[in-house]
Amino acid sequence: MKNNSTPEILAPVGSFESLQAAINAGADAIYFGVEQLNMRTKSSDPITIADIQTIAEKCKAHHIKAYITLNTVMYQHDLQLLRTILTEVKAAGIDAAIAADFAVIEMCRQMQIPLHISTQANVSNIEAVKFFAPLSDVVVLARELTLKQVSDITAEITRKDIRGISGKPLQIEIFVHGALCMAVSGKCFMSLHTQNSSANRGACTQNCRRPYKVTDLETGIELEIDNEYIMSPKDLCTIDILDQVINAGVTVLKIEGRSKGPDYVYTTTKCYREAAEAVINGTYTQEKIEGWKTELTKVYNRGFWEGYYLGRKLGEWTESPGSAATEKKIYLGKGSNYYPKKQVGEFTIESGSLKKGDTIMVTGPACGMVKETREQLYVNGEIAEEAGRGDKITFPFATKVTAKDKLYKIVL
Amino acid sequence: MPKIIHYRHKCIGCNICYEKQPDYWRLSKKDGKATLLNAVEKKGIYILQIPEFAAALTRTIAQDCPVNIIKVI
Repeated sequence: MKNNSTPEILAPVGSFESLQAAINAGADAIYFGVEQLNMRTKSSDPITIADIQTIAEKCKAHHIKAYITLNTVMYQHDLQLLRTILTEVKAAGIDAAIAADFAVIEMCRQMQIPLHISTQANVSNIEAVKFFAPLSDVVVLARELTLKQVSDITAEITRKDIRGISGKPLQIEIFVHGALCMAVSGKCFMSLHTQNSSANRGACTQNCRRPYKVTDLETGIELEIDNEYIMSPKDLCTIDILDQVINAGVTVLKIEGRSKGPDYVYTTTKCYREAAEAVINGTYTQEKIEGWKTELTKVYNRGFWEGYYLGRKLGEWTESPGSAATEKKIYLGKGSNYYPKKQVGEFTIESGSLKKGDTIMVTGPACGMVKETREQLYVNGEIAEEAGRGDKITFPFATKVTAKDKLYKIVL
Repeated sequence: MPKIIHYRHKCIGCNICYEKQPDYWRLSKKDGKATLLNAVEKKGIYILQIPEFAAALTRTIAQDCPVNIIKVI
């Protein structure tokens, strides 16, 4: 099947900074979770029920769609909270809920809230798609399918004219970028069994990402496994096969990473936005791909591979426990004042130092993520070569600066 | 007497405290989070004095809590 319209770029949002970054980068839609009923509950500054209305309004103002994730395992005691969240979702006009549990699916049906089937439902064949079609408008396929399997499913949807609950043709969404699990589409119990911290309640401790030894229990001899990180796959990156992804009939491209920063959200969303448009316009070239790949390696990543989409049976494993990003950000300080007439922001440096010519990054709920090189440095009102702890630096800034805006220095 | 301190707002409603020590805990039907019964609230933190014999079990629960929001002092 050949796609002629640009697919929807769906960006992850775990904070208001990321929301603005996604908007600035040209996302068509965003997804977020609230309280404890989503797959990223360990966030230090979680989005709450009270924020749903604000997010809906902001997304509507920028003409992008907002989806709420409600895709954890649901217990009996969660049902009231679920109803409270869905009531708010309905009132705020959030565009859809993303779910896997039948309680959520049923409640959305009763309350007439549009529904997307989460990857947690592991949909891997056309019969499962047909099963979910009368309940939903979008189905997120399991991340372990090959593109051939994906295109077989989309071709069957067209051939059989399978339509979603809204009466429109059912849409297929896949993950195109971000972290992959060692387990099938997130169905993992390692964190639960070892640390009683359930991944399926959004509390994954990611202990699969560490190196392990094998011990002979009789002799106590320990063997270190040659490739240390045998349970930690590299991150998914499909920017170099995006033409194949789009030609497989996928209409929504999802980026993983609600726990990641606004710089990650901005860069990934922007790259995939440009790449998807290039595929549709016929300007998708190797040179451009190299450019996007360089950009993507600058932000959080564990090294890249194309996942299972091209038919690989065994994953590629990471080489280190943390990020392999080529750029590192160092926290310098936060916003302290704003001069709206001159559009100048003032930041107070709390740690480290900044030199003329350094690249800085500002993240905040109003600006999202802004990165620029400071050719001129105003320190405490005067031109200077360097700023240190306690200094106030000023530079032109388009949006209002508050204490929520954080200033970083980018180093290679 | 030992005290349980519960930082309730970070609870993810995993159920382990109630499962292991139903005398002290309930899962709220309203918001799905665990509630420390008869506790005194100070700025969102819940505190309850408990007898020494119960503290050992609560300490294991504190270790099991996936989000580390239960302390026994």
